[in-house]
Formats: sequence, structure tokens, C-alpha cells
Amino acid sequence: MVQLRPRASRAPASAEAMVDEGQPASEEEEAEHGLLLGQPSSGAAAEPLEEDEEGDDEFDDEAPEELTFASAQAEAREEERRVRETVTAPSRPEKRKRREELFIEQKKRKLLPDTILEKLTTASQTLNVKKSPGKVKEVNLQKKNEDCEKGNDSKKVKVQKVQSVSQNKSYLAVRLKDQDLRDSRQQAAQAFIHNSLYGPGTNRTTVNKFLSLANKRSPVKKAAVQFLNNAWGIQKKQNAKRFKRRWMVRKMKTKK
Amino acid sequence: MGEFKVHRVRFFNYVPSGIRCVAYNNQSNRLAVSRTDGTVEVYNLSANYFQEKFFPGHESRATEALCWAEGQRLFSAGLNGEIMEYDLQALNIKYAVDVFGGPIWSMAVSPSGSQLLVGCEDGSVKLFQITPDKIQFERNFDRQKSRILSLSWHPSGTHIAAGSIDYISVFDVKSGSAIHKMIVDRQHMGVSKRKCIVWGVAFLSDGTVISVDSAGKVQFWDSATGTLVKSHLIANADVQSIAVAEQEDSFVVGTAEGTVFHFQLVPVTSNSSEKQWVRTKPFQHHTHDVRTVAHSPTALISGGTDTHLVIRPLMEKVEVKNYDAALRKITFPHRRLISCSKKRQLLLFQFAHHLELWRLGSTVATGKNGDTLPLSKNADHLLHLKTKGPENIICSCISPCGSWIAYSTVSRFFLYRLNYEHDNISLKRVSKMPPFLRCALQILFSEDSTKLFVASNQGALHIVQLSGGSFKHLHAFQPQSGTVEAMCLLAVSSDGNWLAASGTSAGVHVYNVKQLKLHCTVPAYNFPVTAMAIAPNTNNLVIAHSDQQVFEYSIPDKQYTDWSRTVQKQGFHHLWLQRDTPITHISFHPKRPMHILLHDAYMFCIIDKSLPLPNDKTLLYNPFPPTNESDVVRRRTAHAFKISKIYKVKHLVLLFWIVGSFVISKCNKLHNWKIRAPSVSMQRTWIVGNKSPF
Repeated sequence: MVQLRPRASRAPASAEAMVDEGQPASEEEEAEHGLLLGQPSSGAAAEPLEEDEEGDDEFDDEAPEELTFASAQAEAREEERRVRETVTAPSRPEKRKRREELFIEQKKRKLLPDTILEKLTTASQTLNVKKSPGKVKEVNLQKKNEDCEKGNDSKKVKVQKVQSVSQNKSYLAVRLKDQDLRDSRQQAAQAFIHNSLYGPGTNRTTVNKFLSLANKRSPVKKAAVQFLNNAWGIQKKQNAKRFKRRWMVRKMKTKK
Repeated sequence: MGEFKVHRVRFFNYVPSGIRCVAYNNQSNRLAVSRTDGTVEVYNLSANYFQEKFFPGHESRATEALCWAEGQRLFSAGLNGEIMEYDLQALNIKYAVDVFGGPIWSMAVSPSGSQLLVGCEDGSVKLFQITPDKIQFERNFDRQKSRILSLSWHPSGTHIAAGSIDYISVFDVKSGSAIHKMIVDRQHMGVSKRKCIVWGVAFLSDGTVISVDSAGKVQFWDSATGTLVKSHLIANADVQSIAVAEQEDSFVVGTAEGTVFHFQLVPVTSNSSEKQWVRTKPFQHHTHDVRTVAHSPTALISGGTDTHLVIRPLMEKVEVKNYDAALRKITFPHRRLISCSKKRQLLLFQFAHHLELWRLGSTVATGKNGDTLPLSKNADHLLHLKTKGPENIICSCISPCGSWIAYSTVSRFFLYRLNYEHDNISLKRVSKMPPFLRCALQILFSEDSTKLFVASNQGALHIVQLSGGSFKHLHAFQPQSGTVEAMCLLAVSSDGNWLAASGTSAGVHVYNVKQLKLHCTVPAYNFPVTAMAIAPNTNNLVIAHSDQQVFEYSIPDKQYTDWSRTVQKQGFHHLWLQRDTPITHISFHPKRPMHILLHDAYMFCIIDKSLPLPNDKTLLYNPFPPTNESDVVRRRTAHAFKISKIYKVKHLVLLFWIVGSFVISKCNKLHNWKIRAPSVSMQRTWIVGNKSPF
């Protein structure tokens, strides 16, 4: 347990600091006080406090005490530290206990309802009994998979295909994370093929360009085979159409 | 012939998807082709290159590798990280095994056929054991730094070569460790910033590794020392595929420019025992990248982004030099994609993920033979129906009255009811379809639109009664023997009594719909059925096979008709048998029972059973005769087969007889798919025909 340091009020602490500054006290003391106050032991900071001390008796009539930036900063730091220390830091075993409880709760939230889980475990057990060589093969497969995945830089893929529930054979439970991984890999593979066959660096051209080259190179230059590009500026054309319609309506109105 | 009006429909914008992988099976002479939308088709090369089976595609399936294993088992692997096995009997996917290595880029079967090797995105090469009912993971080889894009086994099964980015590794199968790492130059004679991707490798039995890469080089490496032996620069663009013949004396490579090169092992000089690899023949049959090639004992097979499957027989390997040794280009699917509602003049087009419903235009003008009549009412695009989900549509149909639309995907069956009020059309879905109707291979409505016939891939044939807005399952015909066999084609008679169904191997079964039992079975023929139809009045079943034979079977008499027997005795004209596309549809003229209309992708033909049959000497494709020829001559040269190619029809997809007129719908030329002028697709022409012959 950390002990609370005694609350030190502002004035006497500053006086002490002042006193210490004058005498080159031991480094420990200086350091301690410096810590307490967070105040740089410089001459500049000390000056206004001197004024303070002098005007102690008559402080009712005088203007309020001047507050330097450094002192305000020191105060803020003190407050902070006090707040921090009031909250007791839990010990290691307590922390661990709390974390585990939190994880168990989260797991429970994520799991399927108990009924289905029971069914699945019973189904897998019965299957174990019936098709033991099959299961062994699957286990081997998974082990081999893990072995070869050890040196794999990519994420570990541990597919656990759950046996379908005996009553309702219409679905198969598969982890979604594996499905995403498989999709992304398939997309990467398709991108590779597309790039290597049609990407930059392959000398490919469109049918239009290929067939129009003859027209362009002939002594009498002709237009390309497919001259119009109907897909150009679709948005612009739509906007123009809309504008034209509105303009017509407006014109009709003003005419009337 | 009589007068008729012809609707030329040119707004069916069907674009097939590009070919990604091809795998050739030597024992059964079959070719498996996988496309970019996930469809896998199986062609029987000995049955006149007919597409006998297909597996519908799926949006998430991007297959990158396809291979045949021992015992006619087909496996595919793709970017979704799974190996799938296809059930060729039931036409569905048996299972999918996740490989846990990320996307799979390559797959190879061991020479013994019992092991499977996959190369993954994370650089690992995994070995699987093929067990009788599944595949089992055996072990991993040494992991490499970058993705493994190509794999090849040594014919003895002791070493493998794996091509990656900028290098090729040679592994020892027993230990699983990499013996050699051969660095590939990024550019032939030069420096380049772009990484060199090794798209294909092939391992020969003398230890040579052949690699093709993205710099346009074909390189020969010695795997014992790990050094480069020879380098050929054959293209300015990537060389994307390689296939070696079984005898290892020739191989074929495909480039991104659409060229296919044939390399052969020839002696250096005649009478020399030393041989070297020489580039012998270039073929330019493709316009876009050739992503895959295969080498059968007699032909080179290539396929790529331009969706054509090209089979080029090699002249030196072909024994009989006849029409069979010509180039084959398979462009369109060998099954029907359009259905028609005769009463309301509607057409239903089937695409991969949506259906379109169009109403035909009409005209009131008349004209002479060969005229193009102007339309008074344009064709109308009534409905655009999108499917939910990632699966492709397998088959679809519209009822003859036009008020029911049905289509099926692998997991679901959809039935819609259409209501027409004053040119408006409203659609209502019939919910809660029974699950056994899903994955239907063929859907057909009866003539009076009260019954729906569904052929499922399990071999069962379901009859569903439709009334008002609801349905009721009447009966299911189960397959005869215990085996599961997919029923591919259906035909129903116009009086609703008879239903004919053909499977993949057994003969055609004819069922009595009123009594709900099997009536008879047409004897099996060794070539698959490509089209079937039942004539309206005589109830004769007309069957067309993939070797261009046409049979007529009388259902009430349970035997072949006399006409069919005479045709078989005399045989067909040799030009008829040499046509290279299968007959996809048979139809009848309601008022002329002696006429049979059939068509394939390039022509349509009317067989007049009352006229004599052509023998080999007469002209099969008889043009318009000059009008000043005498009647006698005309009658002598006239024969039963009236074939028309005059409508400049490029790719006939469907021919139908609607009261008073023909409907021909053709597909736009594929080469135009990027620079298609919009006005062409909506153009319609009308032609009035005159008396026979045409």
C-alpha cells in the first residue's frame, strides 16, 4: 500500500523552499522539495514570494496576492498527484483476476446459445465414436496445417469446421474470420492473374484501337471503327437534360 | 412447299464464356473442358465430338486446373482453394475438399493415376492419395517462396517439376525436398523489370524439363544438372500452355496472340540417330489468348478466351484422310437455349444468370419470294428475369400458352405464373417447390400447358400437374435399373399421351402419361441422342443421333416405321453424314404430316417423306432451279431433303414452326462482341417463300 503524503498547504511550503534556497542544503532535501512543489529553484520565482511575506499583516487592504505562472503550475501538479494517489492502484493478482472475469464475460456474450453448443458437442462425440479414422485424419490435417503454418508470416488459419447438427442438416457452421481470409486471398489471386495478363507492361490494346490503326495509317485517313463513345459524360448529359426540361417549363410559365 | 413467312430473330445476344482448362482422357477418348464461369463440359470425341455431359457453373468457382484420374474420375481445382470431384453418372459434384493452402493454381495426376499433386498460392506443393471414394491428404513438399503456377510429373513418378515466378524447382517425390532451383531469365537476351511467370512445365522421361513463360520463350532444361539446354523465343507475348503427346515425340504450345505452335522431335539429318526439337507448324485459329492446349494421339486441341474449342487433327497421324481429318471448331452449346410459346408468339432466351422474354414483331405487308417485309410492330422485350444466387441456370422452358415459365439451378427449381392484361405482363412466383425437382436437366410443358415434365439428374422423371396458380406432384418415374443415370432429353406428344425420355447410355424410354407406366423402349444405339420430337398426328418419334443418323419410331406400333427402314437400308447421303454440327431441334408442320423440319447450327432442312431419297450421286444442297427448266427435269432432281442455307444464317440456334411462319433465331457473330453497332441487333427481316424446291 502506498502511503499518502501529508497535504502541504501552499504558504509554509513556499516559505520552506525559500529558506532552503538560501542555504545550499543537501541535494535530497532540495530534490524532495522540488518534487513537492515542482518549482524550479531559481531566483526569478522566488522574488514575488518575498513580497508576499512582507505584506502578510496588511493583506486585507492590499491587492490580492500575485500568482505567478510557476506557482500555479506547481499547484496544479500537486492536485493532480493527490488525486492520483487517492485512487489506490490494485495489486498484480487482483488485476489478473479482474481481467479474467472480463474475458469470460466477453466470451459468454460472443458464444452461441447453450442449447446449440450442447447439440454440437454431442454430435461430435457420436461422430468420434463412429468415424474415428476420419476424425484422426482431420486431426492430422489440422496438426500438419499448424506445422506448416508455423513458419508462415501471414495470420494463422485454423479452420474448425463444425459438424452439422444431426437434426437440421441444412446448415454448416464455419468461422467468419476464415471466410474473410479466404475471400481476400482469392481476390488477391485474381488480381495477380489480371495484372499479369492485362496489367501494365503487357502489350494489349482494345479491339477498337487495333482495328482502327489500319484506318489511320491508310493514305486516306478514316475515322476509327467505333468512333462514338456513348459512355462519356453520362452525368453531364443527364444534368443537361434535366436543366433543359426545367428551362422549358419556366419558359412556358413566363409566356403564359 | 407452300408459302410461309420467316421471322429472322437477331436479338439473342448470347456470349459463351471463355475456355480455361482442357483435359484429354486417352482411354475413353473424352475431353473435359472447363470455362471461366465454372461450367465443365465433357465431349465425346469418338461420337462425332458431341457434348454429352455438362456441369453448370457457379460464380465463386474459378477453376484453374482440370485432370482425369484413374478409372474415369474427373477432378478440378480452383482459386477457391478446393479440389472437386465430379460424378459423371449423376451429373453433380460428388464432394469438395479444402486444401488449406490458399487458392490452387495447378494440379497434376501421377502417371499411375493414384496420386494427385496440387500447387498452391502460398508456395506449397501438396500430395494427395486418391482413394476409391475420396481423396486423402498425404504430405507436403518443401515450401517455396512464390506461388506454384504449373506442375508436371516425370513419367516414372519419381520427380516433379514445379514452375513458379522467375524460377522452376525440381522436387524428389520420395523425400519431398527440392533438388534443383533453375532461375528463368526475365527476357530473352535482355533485362526486364516484369517478373517472368512460368505458365507451363512438362517433364519428359529423359529428364528434360520444358518450360513456357510469360516472356514468350520455350526453354529446355536438364533436370539432372539443373541447367538450361536450349531456348526458343517464339512470341512477343506470353506462352500460356503446353501439352506433350504420350509418345513424347511432339508437343504443342499456345500463346497469348492466339497462335498454337507444334514442336516435333526430328532427326538432325536423315539417317541420323540424334534428334532435336524443332518448331514445325504454326496454327492461327484463335483471335485471343490460348489458355489451354491438349495433345491427343491424332489431334491438337486448343481453347482460350475467344470461347472456341478447336480440334486440329494432325495429317501424319490420321489414318483415313477424309472429312473427319478437317478442322473442328466448336463454338455453340449442343443443347437448346431458347423455348417458344406458339400461341402468344413469345420467345424465352436462357442465359447464364438471367432469362429474357421477347414477343415477336408482326407485319401486315405481303410480297414475293425473297422479299424483306417491313415490320409494322417491332419485337418487344417483355421480361428480364434474374436469378438469385451464384449458380448458373441449367435449363428453362415456357409453356405453349405462355403463362408458365420454369427454370432450374443446381439447388432450386423456380416456377412462375405470367398474367397478361392489355400488353402488360405481371409475374408471380409459385413458392414452396418440392426439393426433388431441383437440379433438373430438362423441363418440358405439355401442349395444353396442364402438365410439367421434369427430368432430374438422379434419373427420375417427375410429372407435375399445373392448375390455376398452383401445382400438384402427380407421379415420378424411377430409373429402370438400379443405377443412377441422368435423363438428358425429353419429348412429349401433342395429344399429351406419350412422353419420351433419353438417358446417356440406355435407349429412349417411352412412357404412357395417361396410365403412368412405361410403354416401350427404343433399342439403344451407340451414339448419343442429340434431338427428339413426337409427330402430332401419327405419334411417330423422330430421333437424331450425333453421327447424323435420323430414326423414326412409331410409338403405337412399337417398331421403326417403314420410311425409317428404307432410309437405313439406303443410307444417308455422304454430305449429310459429313456435317460437323449436331442436329439440335426437330419440329413438324401441323398441316403436312409428311414433313420433318430439323436444323443444326448452320443449316435447316425439311425432309419430305413422300419424295424419293437422294443417293450419293445426286446433289444434296440443291439451289433455286431456273424457272425455264421443264417440269419433268425438276421432278427428277427433286428429292426428299430440302436444305436451306440461303438466309445467310450464321449460327442457327433454334427453328420453330409457329402457325403460318417459321422462326429462325440466330446468334450475333462472336467477333463483334466488342464493337457491336446497336442498330443491327434489332433488325428484323421477313421473307416469303414460294413453291418447292428452294
